[in-house]
Amino acid sequence: MSEAAQTNLLQPGQSITPTTGSRAPLKVKIPKVLSVSNLHKSYHKGRLHVPVLKGVDVQIHEGEFTAIVGQSGSGKSTLLHLLGTLDAPDKGEIWFQDRRIDNLPARQQEHIRNRKFGMIFQFYHLLPELTTIENVLVPRMVQDNFLSYMRNKKKYLTRAKELLDTVGMAHRLNHRPSELSGGEMQRTAIARALISDPTVLLADEPTGNLDGESGGEVMSTLLNLQRTENLTIVMVTHDNAIAEKADRIIRLVDGKVTKLQS
Amino acid sequence: MYKLLLSWRYLKTRFIALASIVSVTLGVATLIVVNSVMSGFISEMQDRLHGILSDVEIASPGLGEISWPELHVREIERIVGDDLLAVTYVVRVPALMNFQFRGRQWTQQIMLMGVDEQTFGQVTDFNPYLLNSNKRSAINFQLEEQGYDERIGECGWDYRRKKEENSQRIEELIGSSMNAQPIAKTDAQPLDSQTTGPPQGSVTFAPLPMAAPTHQDTVQSPGQQPTEDTMPMGFSAFDPHADLREHVSPEEMFNPSRDQHTGIVLGIAIASRQFMNPEGEREELFMVRPGDDIQITLPTSGPTPSPITENCTIVDFYSSNMHEYDSTFAFMSLRKLQEIRRMIDPVTGSSTVSSIQVKLKDGADLNAVRDKLIAFFPPHQYPYVIQTWQDTQRPLLSAVNMEVTILNILLFLIIAVAGFGILATFFMIVVEKTKDIGILKALGAPSHGVMSIFLSYGVSLGTVGTGVGIVLGLLFVYFINDIAGAIQWATGREIFDPTIYYFSQIPTVVSPLMVVLVALGAIAIAVLASVLPALRAARLHPVEALRYE
Repeated sequence: MSEAAQTNLLQPGQSITPTTGSRAPLKVKIPKVLSVSNLHKSYHKGRLHVPVLKGVDVQIHEGEFTAIVGQSGSGKSTLLHLLGTLDAPDKGEIWFQDRRIDNLPARQQEHIRNRKFGMIFQFYHLLPELTTIENVLVPRMVQDNFLSYMRNKKKYLTRAKELLDTVGMAHRLNHRPSELSGGEMQRTAIARALISDPTVLLADEPTGNLDGESGGEVMSTLLNLQRTENLTIVMVTHDNAIAEKADRIIRLVDGKVTKLQS
Repeated sequence: MYKLLLSWRYLKTRFIALASIVSVTLGVATLIVVNSVMSGFISEMQDRLHGILSDVEIASPGLGEISWPELHVREIERIVGDDLLAVTYVVRVPALMNFQFRGRQWTQQIMLMGVDEQTFGQVTDFNPYLLNSNKRSAINFQLEEQGYDERIGECGWDYRRKKEENSQRIEELIGSSMNAQPIAKTDAQPLDSQTTGPPQGSVTFAPLPMAAPTHQDTVQSPGQQPTEDTMPMGFSAFDPHADLREHVSPEEMFNPSRDQHTGIVLGIAIASRQFMNPEGEREELFMVRPGDDIQITLPTSGPTPSPITENCTIVDFYSSNMHEYDSTFAFMSLRKLQEIRRMIDPVTGSSTVSSIQVKLKDGADLNAVRDKLIAFFPPHQYPYVIQTWQDTQRPLLSAVNMEVTILNILLFLIIAVAGFGILATFFMIVVEKTKDIGILKALGAPSHGVMSIFLSYGVSLGTVGTGVGIVLGLLFVYFINDIAGAIQWATGREIFDPTIYYFSQIPTVVSPLMVVLVALGAIAIAVLASVLPALRAARLHPVEALRYE
């Protein structure tokens, strides 16, 4: 992606100085990374119209670990998909670093997904044909063409190994996902999410399919990363115990935010 | 990058997809083999069909004749112009050939062609098919001392002299026994030069007239003894021309060991028979050879044709390996044939011919020239048949061409069927890989990137299948005669009988263009078959795909 496109987007850690105008003074201590206003989304099952999100407003701040909790069907996964531009809202706006992203053309959304967002999923979603290290490198392969990938391969490999070391997977570089445990797969997925040095990590029930111990390890890895890499994390979970570890909890009930905890 | 890596990994881990393109491989191989054999067949056949046929022929139908051919040629030269290379005249006449073999008279029907020694070779590809190497450079109708093909065996002047020597010896033998005991006229044996046999009894070879024999054990012919009054003076039963000998010197007399009759070139299948010996090998038996004399009976020209017989000496064989020609045609000097058939006007000296044959420059449009000639010699004014050599053989050529077309369509349908196999397999793979597609999209891979994974998967499978098919097909073509031989050995049945087909071996011509077209077609089908699954993959919604379990 060109430099021009990148300069439009703010780099991680960069602060936004609010424009002071004649309006009411805007006091922003922590810059907003993601903000959602009046988001509506519904699904159609045949002729049945199922509203999932009914006007959600959420602000995610830089360097913050936000947990979105709610019952099954409360729309928390849908909200995360919308944040990650995997789906388009029916109504409302999604802003990423002062830029509306929900109505961008597909190519720019793909670019944001690839460079700015890291995503991890409940079912890890690793590619079964690739080894651990190759899975981690996939986002880099997606963004580079063949030649530039080959040119940068050494750099990427070093970074991938570093990340796998951080998540404690350095000993399993050349294993296939089928040879890994659930916790290992999820940690590999975290390394993959971080290979492009994203601004925001979007996690969809990262511990949902893991036992307590593995889930704990994954959580501590995430918390560690938030601290060391100054990562903004948005995590969807139905597990209140896991959510407690977050800086802030957004509770979704029936497609609406009911309570914000700090 | 991920596209290549993933399609490579999918290839490596899914051998079932390779199985789905085996049909492409087989289809491509079959197409190449069939096309090569067919085009080999066609080109070989065209060469041979063209062998004694000129590019364009202006012929009088049946036994009709063209008078004043020189005037026609002048017009043809004017009409055809620069494209004209050579022109020749041909006289075609059905004839009966009579020869002796194993002591019997054999009669056979032939098509006698009078050809011009100088120009016939320029107009047609006649020369290379002559068996005598001396005659290939320039046609003549003289018996040769050497240069004959070894397969014929003993022939040429050596053979003729030996045969004459032999018959001389037999005549002398008979003469000596006749002198001892003259045979009655009613029992006179024909003096058959071919009735060879070992001399019976011990006789001395003395020049004529023979002294009275002293041997008692010579052959005794039954019957009455000739009396003085039944035998005219100076007449001898075994030498009816003794009278003539006194007036003509031996040098002037026809001496088979020195002289030949009218030279004639026979198609090799007229002169020989093929049969299988008890060992199952093919053997060729020559009933007559170059150096033997035969009689040709043919109709004279003019309004009241009458049979006329001419003694001829076989001077060579013609072998185009095209049975239809080899078993039909015999060739003779044009001038000689015109003389025999009385086609030369004694007053004007002009002769008539059966057809005028025209050779054009390479690349000249035969059909255009033919049409121009037809326009000049309109059918309702001139009784001529004007056609190209392809017109002459059109039924055969168009039958073969139609066969090729239909085979190509059928075989391409096989590959198309294979394409549906690929389509089904790829759809399965896309369904299986739905989650992976969702992951890739979530990681920012564009739709066309996902699509190209499956397209390149299809292209590589198609390429591999086609490549293997090409190699298999070319190998098969290269070893096709060995394969035919092996099948023949295994089944005990001859699958390529040269007496039925025109060729002794299966001819093949591999056209690079054909191979490229077949390859492109097969790859295109593989790609087309993978387009639909790839499109489906590209259209998958990432959220739906990720939810897919």
